Amino acid sequence: MTFIQKQRNILDVALCSLLRRKGKNLSLVVAYVFVIFLLSSVMFITDALKREASFVLKDTPEMVVQRLVAGRHELVPTAYAKVIGKIKGVQSVSARLWGYYYDATNGANYTLIVHQDLITSPGSIMVGRGVARHLSAGENGTIPFKACDGSYLFLEIRSVLPSESELVSADLVLMSELDFRRLFQMPEGYATDLVLRVRNVRELSTIAAKVVQLLPDTRPVSRDEILRTYDAVFSWRSGLVIVIFAGALCAFLILAWDKATGLSAEEKREIGLLKAVGWETSDVLLMKFWEGMAVSLVSFLTGIILAYLHIFFTSASLFEPALKGWSVLYPDFRLTPFIDGQHAATLFFLTVVPYTAATIVPSWRTATMDPDSVMRS
Amino acid sequence: MKILLMLLLLLQPCSPSRALAEDMKPVDVKKTDKCPVCGMFVARYPDFIAQVIFEDGSYAVFDGAKDMFKYIFNLSRYNPGKSSSDIAAIYVTDYYSLDPIDGWKAGYVTGSDVYGPMGHELIPFGKDEDAREFMVDHAGKSLLKFESITQEVVRSLD
Repeated sequence: MTFIQKQRNILDVALCSLLRRKGKNLSLVVAYVFVIFLLSSVMFITDALKREASFVLKDTPEMVVQRLVAGRHELVPTAYAKVIGKIKGVQSVSARLWGYYYDATNGANYTLIVHQDLITSPGSIMVGRGVARHLSAGENGTIPFKACDGSYLFLEIRSVLPSESELVSADLVLMSELDFRRLFQMPEGYATDLVLRVRNVRELSTIAAKVVQLLPDTRPVSRDEILRTYDAVFSWRSGLVIVIFAGALCAFLILAWDKATGLSAEEKREIGLLKAVGWETSDVLLMKFWEGMAVSLVSFLTGIILAYLHIFFTSASLFEPALKGWSVLYPDFRLTPFIDGQHAATLFFLTVVPYTAATIVPSWRTATMDPDSVMRS
Repeated sequence: MKILLMLLLLLQPCSPSRALAEDMKPVDVKKTDKCPVCGMFVARYPDFIAQVIFEDGSYAVFDGAKDMFKYIFNLSRYNPGKSSSDIAAIYVTDYYSLDPIDGWKAGYVTGSDVYGPMGHELIPFGKDEDAREFMVDHAGKSLLKFESITQEVVRSLD
């Protein structure tokens, strides 16, 4: 009990000492909070995006086969599907039709995908919420699409896609095969790429080798490669944000360095006084420890909470320019709150612990000196 | 005639042969199920699961066909009180489809470069043509039926 009482008393002295230098400590806390806020914002958004992406990509096919002509992605003959389907280990092959459409009047890019549900109903489409919002069109509205030959195709919106995975579906337009082929004058018997379902992922490399051997003009892309690319894109983007805010980090480091390399005359006198009234060196260090702890813990928690609100309640409004894609249709997405405990702990040990240590070390040097000489100097 | 057919259809679900077939369905491997031969948790290797189901409904699961054969060859040691006549069904996992298939009818490829959790394995296939293509792709040595797998074959894999 006496131990806790002692700690409480020392903490009391520490807090009073902090309050005596209100201006300096407050600016310190503000800078500290800002740095933690930025770092944990980046951390939260990267983790959340990666998790979101992994949810979305969980259903991606094990392998996609594209055809290359002169190193460029070309239409693939659907007859290839039969050849690939005979390879052992391939459960199914299906041809996909998809592409991008640039809407010149609105300056927006849409992703067009042929969907099986619409196969019997040419003329109707399903659109993502972003498209619907952008064109201020709802259900039963019509959207004009300019075909390759210059004619217009008027397609009716059958439904607007639910908003759950808006990050992915915002710019989506699902249409029937007939409309798609008419829009792009795509010949029958050709598809954008082929999608393979493979149960045993151990066989993927063997299957990829066989595909290339049977159809030398194709390029198989496995799901792992797709996932790795997405991972790299997200890491790259978060890296971009980090670089932008590296300045803030530098400011904080200078601040911490300043704190670590010396005490102000006033602080030195305070330590000398405490020693003179009979404090032991360990008590002085304990007080400094509590001081450092109070500043860094308060800043850390405030920073983390602010970052949490920023990312998950305001949808990372500060990072918008750096994180969003090339499309005009920005998804109004809400990320699922998710914190990686390991990352949070890393951040904690990289900020709170060094800061606390930085406050103790110079005090320890002063505290071990003779109080008389400390106060005289 | 029609009525008779309908009656037959109605009666079918409760006929005894159907009930027996349901008993013999492959079991869902629990997270805590261990291979009685090597002691490893089986659910972590879904691609290699093998199962022996007894007539009383008890079962043993393995992380590979090799361990299953060791178990069957040495049943008195691993499961005293059970004899090979008590076995109601055997399931192994088809390499390509990863579906459980009848272990008695499956073909097993030895000597391939595909390793299971316990090293060299007997890789099961439901169709012989699948097995033959696999042997070409993965340097398989021989394709064996259930009856021709002996203790020597299993021992040679270790």
